[in-house]
Amino acid sequence: MTTLIDRYVFTVLRRVPEQQRTDIERELRTSIDDAVDARVGGGEAREAAVEAALLELGDPDRLADGYAGRPQYLIGPIFYPLWKRLLTTLLSIVLPAVVTIAVVIRVLQDATFGDVIGTVVGTTLTVGAHMVFWVTLTFALLDRAGVEKADLRRRAWTPDDLPRYEPGFLTPAQLWATVLWPVLMIAALVLQQFAFTEEPVLDPANWSFWWPYLIVVLILEGLYGVWVFRRGAWSHTVTAVNALLAVLFTAPVVWLAATEQFFNPEWIAGVDWGTQDPLRWLTGITITIAVAGAIYDIAEVAVRAERARRGLATPVPGTGREFTAPLS
Amino acid sequence: MTMDATLSGHLQELRRGTVVVASLTVLREPGYGYSLLETLSAAGFEVEANTLYPLLRRLESQGLLTSSWNTDEARPRKFYRTTEQGDAIAAALRGEWMRLDKAIGDLDTPDSGPGGDAADGTRDHTPGGTSSGSE
Repeated sequence: MTTLIDRYVFTVLRRVPEQQRTDIERELRTSIDDAVDARVGGGEAREAAVEAALLELGDPDRLADGYAGRPQYLIGPIFYPLWKRLLTTLLSIVLPAVVTIAVVIRVLQDATFGDVIGTVVGTTLTVGAHMVFWVTLTFALLDRAGVEKADLRRRAWTPDDLPRYEPGFLTPAQLWATVLWPVLMIAALVLQQFAFTEEPVLDPANWSFWWPYLIVVLILEGLYGVWVFRRGAWSHTVTAVNALLAVLFTAPVVWLAATEQFFNPEWIAGVDWGTQDPLRWLTGITITIAVAGAIYDIAEVAVRAERARRGLATPVPGTGREFTAPLS
Repeated sequence: MTMDATLSGHLQELRRGTVVVASLTVLREPGYGYSLLETLSAAGFEVEANTLYPLLRRLESQGLLTSSWNTDEARPRKFYRTTEQGDAIAAALRGEWMRLDKAIGDLDTPDSGPGGDAADGTRDHTPGGTSSGSE
């Protein structure tokens, strides 16, 4: 486990210029040790002394700001992580969603294959540029106005706010993503029956078994996310459960698509892509996405679990330092 | 903004520069971060570690302090020492402090002051609640 002092020092170093890190780390660790020793000498328990010493040092972001000096940048260190995270989310999740919706609308308007490609490129560039510009402008203005992170958080920092930096833990954001994804999929699966199009996109005959089955598997995926979050560690059990869920979901989807039972024939009949056969394309795309997604998911979790099990050093993002997980 | 918050904001403003004077004065004898912190709080300066440690580095980069790592003991420590230039600046700052102390004392007891300023009635008594609370 990372000690509180490690977590504190890493948190400070993240926001300090790289060439000063080594010197600052040495001096800061000495200063903290001195403060802890003084408290221990005064009769405090070591653990309490560490906590009190860090609390006295206060918010590590403020300390790092002091070390780093005046801002000379568009997005300052206060907002840079938030700006980057927000843009990453927008560009990797919201933008594809917007593009998908735009494409679906074009397809439903009986667009040609060329129109669809044009919509993808046009929407990606226009919406992407708007996202980057407005987000950056907003953060630059916040930075210039001297807004601090504590203003947004509305409470004082405590040592418990320190990130854990351990590879085995899901962050709350990752938990949200793990839970939100199945919910969105279920919503899409149910809504396509009634909304979006005149004829349902997916074969309504499967409501007799396969669509309810997929909903159950998706609910299990959500529960899996909560389970991993509360467990707080990765292991081969997690790998196995995750792989099982991935197979339970992917295998029926691939089978349904391959045997032409996935899409609603009446909807396919209404789609006109000129010389292209929409069913062939959609089947190919569906199978590719399902298989690639499953393989990526299984491999990613397996690698994380194996790294955690072996206690391999994991880079702590943004510090240039590594954290070695304990063998468990 | 409550009265307490206003007061603590102004106290902080008032004390800000004093840590520089005190540090430059104390560090005529070499010292390291935590020892200086102890010395200053024993002397009655309310200084926080997360202000003092970055400040030491800033003063060093301004050439008012020099530093060297002392690795003789088990725990290597960065010792700071006031430079000649730092000493001169500290002297100037102490002079300014004396001047301000006298000036404020004079304002507080107008009768003893040379100007007889209570007579003209134009003194500005703006209350201190308009501080923008910087940082």
